[in-house]
Amino acid sequence: MTLGSSGGSSVVVPRNFRLLEELERGEKGIGDGSVSYGMDDADDIFMRSWTGTIIGPHNTVHEGRIYQLKLFCDKDYPDKPPTVRFHSRINMNCVSHDNGMVDPKKFGLLANWQREYSMEDILTQLRKEMASAQNRKLVQPPEGTFF
Amino acid sequence: MGGGEGVSGDESGAPAAVATVHIRCSNGNKFSVQTELDATVRAFKTTVATSCDVPAEQQRLIYKGRILKDEQTLSSYGVEADHTIHLVRASPPMTSPNTTTTASQGAAAQAPNSGSSPAAGTGGFLFPGLGLNSQGSNNSGLFGSLPDLDMMQQQLSQNPGMMRDIMNTPAIQSLMNNPDLMRNIIMNNPQMRDIIDRNPDLAHILNDPSILRQTLEAARNPELMREMMRNTDRAMSNIESSPEGFNMLRRMYETVQEPFLNATTMGGDADSGANPFAALFGNQAGNRAGTNQAPNTESTGSNPASASPAPNTNPLPNPWSTNTGAAQTGTRSTTGSETRGTPAGGLGGAGMPDLTSLLGGGMPDPSHFNQLLQNPAMMQMMQNMMSDPQTFNQLLGFNPTLRSLLDTNPQLRDMIQNPDFIRQLMSPETMQQILSLQQSLQGLAQLGRQQSGQEQNQTDSGAVPGAGLGSNANLELLRNLFGGLGAGGFSAPANQSNVPPEELYATQLTQLQEMGFIDAQENIRALIATSGNVHAAVERLLGNFGL
Repeated sequence: MTLGSSGGSSVVVPRNFRLLEELERGEKGIGDGSVSYGMDDADDIFMRSWTGTIIGPHNTVHEGRIYQLKLFCDKDYPDKPPTVRFHSRINMNCVSHDNGMVDPKKFGLLANWQREYSMEDILTQLRKEMASAQNRKLVQPPEGTFF
Repeated sequence: MGGGEGVSGDESGAPAAVATVHIRCSNGNKFSVQTELDATVRAFKTTVATSCDVPAEQQRLIYKGRILKDEQTLSSYGVEADHTIHLVRASPPMTSPNTTTTASQGAAAQAPNSGSSPAAGTGGFLFPGLGLNSQGSNNSGLFGSLPDLDMMQQQLSQNPGMMRDIMNTPAIQSLMNNPDLMRNIIMNNPQMRDIIDRNPDLAHILNDPSILRQTLEAARNPELMREMMRNTDRAMSNIESSPEGFNMLRRMYETVQEPFLNATTMGGDADSGANPFAALFGNQAGNRAGTNQAPNTESTGSNPASASPAPNTNPLPNPWSTNTGAAQTGTRSTTGSETRGTPAGGLGGAGMPDLTSLLGGGMPDPSHFNQLLQNPAMMQMMQNMMSDPQTFNQLLGFNPTLRSLLDTNPQLRDMIQNPDFIRQLMSPETMQQILSLQQSLQGLAQLGRQQSGQEQNQTDSGAVPGAGLGSNANLELLRNLFGGLGAGGFSAPANQSNVPPEELYATQLTQLQEMGFIDAQENIRALIATSGNVHAAVERLLGNFGL
C-alpha cells in the first residue's frame, strides 16, 4: 500500500509521542537485541530519565560485557540530543574518564543531532563506536565497576 | 512471528498474575516462558534455564536497559505480559569465543503491530459496504465512505497493477458482464440519454454486451489495449489520407464526440458527483484544452468505414503523445459505448472510483438507488464483495481514515467482523431504511450547516436507532460508525463548503495543539481527512496507518 507517504513525513512528532513510542519499542524488544533501553521512573510524566544497556560487540575487548548507560531527555528532546553518560566504567575515546559522560564533540551522532534520531540510534551507534579501530583494543577497566 | 499471540496475562482465575514473557538471545533463539510476574528474578532464571541451554547462574537478563538483579521481582522492574527480556550469557572466567549470547529480536516486537493490521484489514471489509448502504443517497456515491476519491484515483492511476487486480475481481467482472445494470447506470444520466437518443448507433453499441466485455478485456490487459490503440491509430491515418476522409472524420467528431464530451464535462465544475462522466473524462477534457492536437482529436469519432458495431476500432488521438495516452483510453471508449467508459477509463484514471462516481451520479435520485439495490446483479456484486476479504483489504488500503477509525474502535471492528451483522445490514429492508435515513439526514444537514461536526455526529447517532436499525443497539458504536461514515462523504463535504475548517474543528485543533502538534495547517488537514476525529487525526499525523 502506498499510503504512508500522504500523512506523516513532514509532521513534527511531539516530544511525548516520540518518547512513548520509544518506550514501547524498548519494552517490546528492539533491533538485533544488542542494545536495550527503558525508562527509569515509570511515574515521571516527563519521561526524562532513561537507562540503556549495550552488549559489547564481538571480537573486541568489549565482548561479553554489558555496559549500562544513563540517558537524560530534557524537555527540548528530541530537538536537542539527550545527555548520555556511561554508568559502567569504560575506556573509550568519546567518553570522559572522570564521569562517563559521552562527549558530544567527539561523538558524531550527538554533534550532528537530528530530530529523527532516537535513543536506540545512540546506543547502536555507541556500540559501533566500541568496535571501531581506535576503541576495540583499548585496555578496559575491570568489569562491574561504575563511574 | 506467532510468539506474541498466546498471552495469558489476563487469566482471571490464576492466583497470581501469570504472564507470557518473551526471551531473546543473540544466537537467533527466541522463546516464551510462562511466569508469575511477582516471581523473583532468580526463580525466573530457573524457569528460563529449562527452555534454553544457559544455566541460571550464567544468565544475565536485561530488560528496558536494566540488568535484572536476582533478589528483585520481575514486577519491580515493570515487566508485563508480552514484554521482551534479553538474555545474555555471562562471561565465564576465561574468555571463550561464544561468551556473549546477545539477545535477539523478540517475537513480541512485531506481534502487537502485526496483530492490528490484519484485523483492521478484515475490519475494513465491511466498511465500503456500509458506505454502499448509507452513503448511497449523497454525492459521494457508492463507495462514498472513501473520503478522498482524488487521492485514490491518483494512486490507482499510478499503480496499474492494482487497477488490474481490481478489474479482475469477480465482483467487478460480474458487474461488467451485466449489460442491463450498466445500461441502467448510463441511462440515468440525462446528458447521456440525450446523446444516445440522437445517435441510434450508440444505442446499438450500448446494447451489445460483447462490446462491453471486449473493452473490459482490453482494460485488464495492457497488451491488448496497446494493440488496439495501435490499430485504431493506423486505421485513422488511412482514413485521413483518403480524399473525403478528413471531412468524414470531422463530421463524425461533430456528431458524436463533441456532444459526448459536452455531456461528460458539463457540470463537472459544479458538482462532479452530479455528472458521473465528468469525473471519468475530466482528465481528457483537460488534455484537450491544453494540447493543441486538433486534427488528431477531431478524428476521434468512430471509424466511418466500419461505422456500426466495431467500436473498438474507433480511431484515436495519437496514443503515443506524452501523458495523454491515459486520457485517450477514455476517449476511445466514449465513442464506443459509454458503458465501456468504466473499464477503459480505468486506465486513464481509476476504474473503481470511476465506477463510484458513475453510480454516485445516479444516486441523487433515490429511486435509482432502489432500482440498483434491487437489481440482482448489484446484489450479487455486493455479496461477492462482502465475501471477498481481499477486495476489501485493497479498498481499505486506499483509505487511511477508515483504517485508523477501525484501529481506534476495536468494538467497531468486532462488529464488522460479525457475519450476522453484515447480513442484516445487507438485507434490502435495512438498506432502504438507511437510504431514507440518509435522505432525512441530508435535509437536516442543509438546515443545520452551522452545526459543528460533533453535533452533526450526534444527530446521526440519534436518528439511526430511531430509524429502526434496531438490531445494532449500541449507541456508541453507531455514533462511531456514522461519525466515520460522515467522515467519508456526508457531513464533511456538507460542512466544508460553508464553514472554514478552522472554525469547524476549533476544539479538536486546540486538543491537537495541547498534545504538541504545532503545525496548524497539518492539523487541519488531518482533521478534515478524519472529519474531526482527534484520535484518527493523531494516528494520521504520526503516520501510523497500521501497516
